[in-house]
Amino acid sequence: MNEPLNSINAKPFFLWKHLNKLRWLTLSVVFLMLILIPLLSIYQHYVAAQGYNHLSPSETLLYDSMEFISAPFVDDAEHDLDAIKGTTWSGQLFGVKLTDPLAVIGQVSAGFEVYWPFALTALLPVIATVIFGRFFCGWICPATFLYELNSNASVWLNKFGLKSGSRRFNRKFKYLVLAVGIGLSAFTGTVLFASVYPPAVLGRELYFSIALSGFGSGTLFFVLTLLFDSLVSKRGFCRYLCPGGALYSLLGRYRVFRIKRLVEQCNDCSKCNAVCEFGLNPMQDDFGGECNSCSACIAVCPKDAMTFTLAIADSKNQGPGHQSRTYRKNEKHPKSPTAKDPCINIQNID
Amino acid sequence: MTRRRFLKQLSVLASAGVFFKTSFAKAAYKVKQFTQRYLRPPGALKEDDFISRCIRCNQCAEICPNNCIKFFGSENGIASQGTPYISPREKACILCMKCGDVCPTGAIKPVKRELKPIVQEVNMGIARVDRQLCLSWQGKSCGVCYRACPLADTALKVGFMEQPEVLDACVGCGLCENSCIQIPQAIKIIPRHTIAALGK
Repeated sequence: MNEPLNSINAKPFFLWKHLNKLRWLTLSVVFLMLILIPLLSIYQHYVAAQGYNHLSPSETLLYDSMEFISAPFVDDAEHDLDAIKGTTWSGQLFGVKLTDPLAVIGQVSAGFEVYWPFALTALLPVIATVIFGRFFCGWICPATFLYELNSNASVWLNKFGLKSGSRRFNRKFKYLVLAVGIGLSAFTGTVLFASVYPPAVLGRELYFSIALSGFGSGTLFFVLTLLFDSLVSKRGFCRYLCPGGALYSLLGRYRVFRIKRLVEQCNDCSKCNAVCEFGLNPMQDDFGGECNSCSACIAVCPKDAMTFTLAIADSKNQGPGHQSRTYRKNEKHPKSPTAKDPCINIQNID
Repeated sequence: MTRRRFLKQLSVLASAGVFFKTSFAKAAYKVKQFTQRYLRPPGALKEDDFISRCIRCNQCAEICPNNCIKFFGSENGIASQGTPYISPREKACILCMKCGDVCPTGAIKPVKRELKPIVQEVNMGIARVDRQLCLSWQGKSCGVCYRACPLADTALKVGFMEQPEVLDACVGCGLCENSCIQIPQAIKIIPRHTIAALGK
């Protein structure tokens, strides 16, 4: 008798609602690191050259600020700063080498050989992806940071009457991009993904623009993807084209940690569908391998009907939530909640 | 009518295939090893292996304390786009061997920073002296290249009037070319891939 009442009153863990803020923090930190690491490497060059007295005023400013930032952490800037290098494509974090699985896939297909010291650097990301799914796309990818800001900007532009594109294509298309990319890498003998994978391109271009002569050709590519997102299809590149997203979706298909809808609480307001960056259908329990666990749907849900759960598959479509016991007001049912329930009161106001 | 159309399509397809196989696309893709003179970072694999191994992560340049590693755009063919190179006359390699340690893919092998492993493992190219240009060989004692050489007497020796002579142990770091006071430089690194291509 009490069991359904308990399930109705079950609130998701309170932190899940705030995960989206944490996610924005992580994205910003990763993006700032991509700017900071090239600056630190310039600082390292200056230290190695022992050329403080020969720097121009702007270079002195850079030297001083980087010294200020790094001084608490390093004794010998010339060598100790080697511990943090690279980008999200492939990098070294406090001596641990981490690599995007797509880089390993691309390299194996380009060279027809597995270089194990390199392949093992992708082990940690692969394990994390198997457990948490496509979390890289939502939580770490520096391109996501700009793409999401771009789609937020589109919302503002829509308010001023400038329509942004909202076409939809087949989500499976990115798997084709991945397959074609692997084929072309094998055919040409180069890691072609490096020049069409936004996080790799963005990390490289940030490094080029800060530490070397200036933006390279990848910037053009990235700007084109931004334009594609805002003019043709919202988050179109991530949804339909990104080969890395395809790989992560495949790896995270049977992820353990996933978002679930609590049908008893859901009132079918479809805010979760509207807010989902990847165009999924959380309101009808359709997450699939594509969900990047960004938790925007949890944050936006007015009824606390979204939560994280441990399961290796999505629950099948649980049907519309407003027909669940919580919202059936006229039906006399022994299991229906009493009028004290706040949900019922809200429904009555309507 | 349908047969004619079929033959037409077939011929178009065939000519497109031939076109792709032979000229243009391949030329745009193929590495122009003869026109560009560049060195790969120390410890790099052979050119083709290097290109298939390198994932364009830029870490070699980030860690290079001498800031001598640069990256190709599309000027050396699409295959080597984004790969690191060293242009010795602008800035040469000081053989610190940090890039090999940081390279995640083994495209640049990790080599110990000692004389023996460096001489054995590193092969960026080999220096060649142009005796018509070299001041020492023209009777004005110079010897700058010898003083710049990190492997002096192993890779480069000087004789009478400090006339430089390159030995087989030269790894091709390019410091001699970088320091040469002649314009154009009298000592030049012949890159390893150029030697390999000419040897064929």
